Amino acid sequence: MSAVSAPELAVVPEEQAPLGESPRPALEARGVVQRFGAKLVLDDVALAVAHGSIHALLGPNGAGKTTLLRIFAGLLVPTGGEIQVLGRDVGTSRAFRRRIGLVPSGDRSFYLRISGLENLAFFARLHGLRRRDAVRRSLELLEEVGLEGAARQPVGEYSHGMQKRLSVARALLTDPPILLVDEATHDLDPEGARRVRELVLQRADRGAAVVWATQRLDEIRGLADGVTLIAGGRTAFAGTVTELMAHAVPRRYLLRLRGGVAVRARGAARWSLEPVAGSDEHFLLELADGVVLGAALGALSRTGIEILTCREERSEIEEAFLSLTEAAG
Amino acid sequence: MTTFEVDPGRVRGLTGELRKLPAFVRRDFLVAWSYRMSFVSDIVNLVGQVIVFYFIGKMVDQTRLPTYGGSEVTYLEFAAVGIAVGVFIQFGLDRVSAAMRGEQMMGTLESILVTPTAPATIQLGSVAFDLVYIPLRTAAFLGGTTLAFGLHFSAGGILPALLLLLAFIPFVWGLGVLTAGMILTFRRGGGVVGLGAVALGLMSGVYFPLDLLPDWLTGVAEANPIALAIQGMRDSLLGGATVADVAPTIAVLVPVSAASLALGLFVFRLAVRRERRRGTIGLY
Repeated sequence: MSAVSAPELAVVPEEQAPLGESPRPALEARGVVQRFGAKLVLDDVALAVAHGSIHALLGPNGAGKTTLLRIFAGLLVPTGGEIQVLGRDVGTSRAFRRRIGLVPSGDRSFYLRISGLENLAFFARLHGLRRRDAVRRSLELLEEVGLEGAARQPVGEYSHGMQKRLSVARALLTDPPILLVDEATHDLDPEGARRVRELVLQRADRGAAVVWATQRLDEIRGLADGVTLIAGGRTAFAGTVTELMAHAVPRRYLLRLRGGVAVRARGAARWSLEPVAGSDEHFLLELADGVVLGAALGALSRTGIEILTCREERSEIEEAFLSLTEAAG
Repeated sequence: MTTFEVDPGRVRGLTGELRKLPAFVRRDFLVAWSYRMSFVSDIVNLVGQVIVFYFIGKMVDQTRLPTYGGSEVTYLEFAAVGIAVGVFIQFGLDRVSAAMRGEQMMGTLESILVTPTAPATIQLGSVAFDLVYIPLRTAAFLGGTTLAFGLHFSAGGILPALLLLLAFIPFVWGLGVLTAGMILTFRRGGGVVGLGAVALGLMSGVYFPLDLLPDWLTGVAEANPIALAIQGMRDSLLGGATVADVAPTIAVLVPVSAASLALGLFVFRLAVRRERRRGTIGLY
């Protein structure tokens, strides 16, 4: 028996090598196929996450993101393909589960009648911690996620956001080298979402490999190092966030024009300008095929319309997401 | 960062798995304690049941009851032992599977399965609290009825009765685990096992002597492990049978119980594996 600190509990020295120096990805999936009866949910999906990096998993509802995370967590045995965690096949071994932290997407994953502290301590003990250590570790994590004041409150009295933060705390109990996060910020207020993202970033900075499944496309900017976009069960895109944004082909822009009333009077439709309800100055510009933004703005300027601001109606990530998922059918 | 000790063998080893059981007991105690009223209603139900049997006993012709150790017994004494054992039967056939179903309904089953905990530990853990609570409750029940109604139980029969109970619990527990496996697979498929349970209960002699059954059923009932256990318990607690007297019954119960538990755990393990393949563990 040896006394070890939390990070040492789960990460062997070789696996703590900084990003780029590790001999192999912390988590690697190759040719993953998942069928539920006749339905093909995942088809030849591949993904690799390095130590100390956050990998975003994007995709529309039903794309197979949660299924893939459940496979990584060992809750589901894939129909085909290979999953390696820290260089070893996942199989049905229980030992690897100590190295994985899962933040599930649903709300129902705690005992609502007992406190957040007792819930965490229970799961900590299932990970092999002694009662005293389990309580100490749970208190530490409750403080980290900002729930120290509600530690002894029944989870049934927690708000949705508090339960989500508790879920994050549970995933971090053994400070696992692999963190699987499924829609962690869904339905959270901006402050709650920021807090969760910070916690995950800290873990990645300390060497954890994170898979972050989300529908909030813009949150992956500045958070994720890599992105895999799944659509229709297949990998529609795999690369960096910047590479993903390169797929964006924005066609709609939000313009703020001086003298909006005059623009309306002069026939906004002539320039494919659509007035924005509730504003005199804002208009949507939709580019026709073959027309570039510069040419359209130039044409507007030449008619005497003063353009105060111009920005894409949707973010580049959202544009890329839509473009790639539509292309995937 | 807190420093804490972890035994590397804990995750895999049997000892490590057994050390997780107190966590389940604590969890279920806290949950049960949060429903304090149900503790009270449980006791009230038990008292009510005894009162009902007390009055039924007044109608029963005592000479139709079997004798134990050459002594006649009252119907309440006869039924009290049956009720005490019946609680364990109910535990095995109802609460074991209900515990697993509860985890599934609450959505906590997946959270547990993500931890490095063996399915057998999860199964045992989910009933560990009952395994502590029910014997205490049964002892209190027998003690209370003895004091309240002046029943006569043989103090010397307590040890053989406990040994019989120890040999018998894995049998009903195995049936419960089997039911839990079926519920995991078929969701509401416990009904089929429930039918079997009713048949076993009917032919167990909990509330009436087996010789009241039709002749063709009596033979079947006498081979029923539940009936064997109840008979042995009555012999011990009402007739003062010794450990040596009940040893043949224990010798029959032990392998039957082992087979029942092994079959139950095997089916449960298969059910968990199947659900992992299908990805439907959390569905209910």
